[in-house]
Amino acid sequence: MNRRTVIKNLALVLGGAVLLPSCLHSDGTTFVQLKHIDLSADQEKLIGDICETIIPKTNTPGAKELKLPPFVLKMLDDCYNKKDQQAFLAGLLKFTDMVKTKYNSSFGDLSAKDREAVLVGIENSAKSNNAAKTPARRPRPQKHLQDDPLMAFYWGLKQQTIFAYTTSQYFMTKLVFYDMVPGRYIVHYPVSKLKLA
Amino acid sequence: MANLNIDSVKARTFDAIVIGSGISGGWAAKELTGHGLKTLVLERGRDVKHIKDYPTTNKFPWEFEHHGQLPAAVTEANPIASRCYAFGEDSAHFFVKDNEHPYVQEKPFDWIRGYQVGGKSLLWARQTQRWSDFDFEGPARDGFAVDWPIRYKDIAPWYSYVEKFAGIAGNKDGIPELPDGEFLPGYPLNDVEEYFAAHLKTNYKNRHVISARCAHLSKPNQIHLDQGRGQCQNRDLCQRGCPFGGYFSSNSSTIPWAERSGNMTLRPFSVVESIIYDEKLGKATGVRIVDTNTKETIEYFARIIFVNAAAINTNLVLLNSTSSRFPNGFGNDSGVLGKYIAFHNYSAHISAEYDGLKEWTVDGRSPTGGYIPRFRNVYKQETNFLRGYACGFSGYRYQQHKYDGVGSSLKEGLVKGDLSPWGVYSHMMGETIPKESNHVSLDPKLKDNWGVPLLKISVDYDDNDEKMKKDYIEQLTEMFTSAGFKNIQPSTNHQAPGLDIHEMGGVRMGNDPKTSILNKWNQVHACKNVFVTDGACMTSTSCQNPSLTYMAITARAADYAVSEMKKGNV
Repeated sequence: MNRRTVIKNLALVLGGAVLLPSCLHSDGTTFVQLKHIDLSADQEKLIGDICETIIPKTNTPGAKELKLPPFVLKMLDDCYNKKDQQAFLAGLLKFTDMVKTKYNSSFGDLSAKDREAVLVGIENSAKSNNAAKTPARRPRPQKHLQDDPLMAFYWGLKQQTIFAYTTSQYFMTKLVFYDMVPGRYIVHYPVSKLKLA
Repeated sequence: MANLNIDSVKARTFDAIVIGSGISGGWAAKELTGHGLKTLVLERGRDVKHIKDYPTTNKFPWEFEHHGQLPAAVTEANPIASRCYAFGEDSAHFFVKDNEHPYVQEKPFDWIRGYQVGGKSLLWARQTQRWSDFDFEGPARDGFAVDWPIRYKDIAPWYSYVEKFAGIAGNKDGIPELPDGEFLPGYPLNDVEEYFAAHLKTNYKNRHVISARCAHLSKPNQIHLDQGRGQCQNRDLCQRGCPFGGYFSSNSSTIPWAERSGNMTLRPFSVVESIIYDEKLGKATGVRIVDTNTKETIEYFARIIFVNAAAINTNLVLLNSTSSRFPNGFGNDSGVLGKYIAFHNYSAHISAEYDGLKEWTVDGRSPTGGYIPRFRNVYKQETNFLRGYACGFSGYRYQQHKYDGVGSSLKEGLVKGDLSPWGVYSHMMGETIPKESNHVSLDPKLKDNWGVPLLKISVDYDDNDEKMKKDYIEQLTEMFTSAGFKNIQPSTNHQAPGLDIHEMGGVRMGNDPKTSILNKWNQVHACKNVFVTDGACMTSTSCQNPSLTYMAITARAADYAVSEMKKGNV
C-alpha cells in the first residue's frame, strides 16, 4: 500500500471530515460503486484475495468465480455503521502492515499455503484471546464489529464471505437444497431418513 | 368544501363508514357489506392487493439486494421498526418508517404500525387463542379496571363464526381456560414438545402444552376456497404476504370478500381527521378526512360509523373529534378516553437443551408452535401478583455447521454437519393491568403532515409486571429442570411496551357510562351510531394474542348495528 492511501485511510479512521480527492485511486478498476467507504483498487483486490482464501476454488467454485467479493464489498458498504466501517478500514491497514512485516510481501503475492496460514494465524490468536467471532449457528453476520481493528476486519470479512457464499444461488441450489415451499410438516421423523448434505 | 351541492353530498353518503382496513376493519367491512350496506372503507395508507402487491413473496434469498440483511441506513433511520422481529429486507415495505409518522414518547413506547390496506394483518404472528370467562371475569374478580360488560357466552358464537371463515388450525384440547373452537386439523407437536407436554401432565396440575391455534389453512374448507385461498404451504415467509392465501389477512380474505359484494367503496390515502357530530341530531353524521396525496379535506356521511383505526390510532381519532357536546374527545363524558391503556409483557424468555429423543426430528416447517395456556391465578389467587402469563414453547433441532478455519475444510463444514441436540425455547406473554396513568393524549402543539395533532404516549410497566416476570423465570426454570433439560438459560430484557404489538384499551367497554366509553355492543354510550371494535375497546388484556377476539367482537357488533338500523334505532 502506498503512503498516500495510508494517510487517506487514517483520515477515515480518525473520523475527521477531511475530504481527499478521489484521484488517489491508483487505477480506476473497482468491483462496485461504494457509497460509504473508500477503498483503493489494491484494497479491493486484497479483499477479493482474502475472500478467495476463505472460500477457494476446489472441485467446486470459489469466491471469485461466484462473484462473492463485489457482494461482500457491498455488504461492508451498506450494512455496517460508520464506526464499524472505520474499525474495518483501520484493521485493513493493520492487516496489510502485518503481512508486510512478516513476509515482506503483499498478501496477493503469497502462496496459497501462506495466505491460509495468515488467516488461520489470526483466527487462532483470536481463539486464544476469546475474541473468535464465528457464528455458532446460522451464518448470519454479527450486526456490529469488534472494537479491535484487526478483529473487526477479519471477522467482518469472514462472516460476510460465509454469508455471501451460503446465500448464493450456487450454494443454495447445487450444494444444499433450499426448500422454499415445503408443503408439509412431519413430526416424529427419523433422523436416519433426513437428507443432510 | 368546494362542492356542497346535493349531488356531491349524495356521492359522499354511504350506509356505513369503516375507519381502517386491518384485522378488525376488514371484518367490519365484510359483515356490513354482507348485510347489504353500502360501506365506505377508509384506509390512511396505500392499497395492497392480495398477491399482486406482495413484491418479495416469491424471492429467493439471493434475489434480495442484501440477501435479507437490512442496510445500516435503514436500521439507523428506523430504530423503532427495526426492533420488530418481522422487520426485514423482505417485509420493510409493510412497516411504517419512524420518521414518516412521528409521535411523542413521554415514556419509551415502540409503536409498530402498518399503514396500508390490510394494516398489520399482513404481518401478524397469526396466533388465535380464545378467551374464557377466567379472562372476562378477571377485572371483577381481582378488582381492577371495570367489569367486562360481556361474558364468554356472549362472544362464543361469534368466535365460532369468525373461526370458520378465517380458518383456524387447532386441536380440541378440552381445557376450560382456553376454550376449543371450530378448528381445521391442528399442526402436531414435535417429539420434544410432546415430551414436555407429557411431563407437565404427569407432574403438574393444570399445566398443558398444546399446539398453538393459528390462522392457517391446514386443510381448507369450501368457504376458504371460495375466498380464493389455498392450503398453507409451510413456507414460514408469512411477513411477505402469502401467495397461497395460506394464512388469514384482510388482504387475502375479508377485503376481497367485501369487494365482491359490490357494496364496498375502498378509499386508500385517507387519514381520518375526526368524526363529525351533529348537535341537533344528537348523533354522528360522518367523518372528515384528509386525502394524503392532495391534502384536500373531504367529508363523508353515513348512518353508522365503525372505528377500527388500530388501538392507539382509534384513541387519536376520538380524542381529536371534539365538539361542544364532546369538548374532551368523542364520547368522553366519563373522562376515561385515552386512559387505561395496557399491553402484553413479553420481556422474559428461556432456552435449554434436551439430550434425549436423538433419533427423531421433523421434516418441513410448522407455521405455529407449542403454547402453554395461563396456569397462574386461574381458579384462585395464588401468587403475590395479579393475573398470569401464557408461554410460547417450541423445540427445534438444526444442522450444526463448522465455521472454523478457511479453505476446503471450511467449505465442507458449511455444507455438512450433524443435527444438534433438541433445543427448547419459551417466551412469556403476560397480562398487564390497565391503569389510569397509562394513557395517550394529544400534543397541544405538534401536528403531522395532515394537520392532525401528534399523539403523546405514556405507558410503562409496573411492579405487578416485574413480579410476574420473576415468577415466569422461576416456574419455567423449575419445569425445565424437572423435565431434565440442560443448559437452562433464562433471560430478561427491558423491551419497551408496544413492541409486543398488543397495545389495547383507551376506549374501554363497560356497563357504566360514568367509567367507560363503550357499552356491551361496542357502541359509544353517548352516541349510539358509533362503534369501536378494535383493540381500543379492550377492558382488560388477559394474555392470549388478541386479534381473534377483535374479529369476534367486530362481527358481533356489526350484526347488532345492522339489526338496530333495521329497527330504526340508529
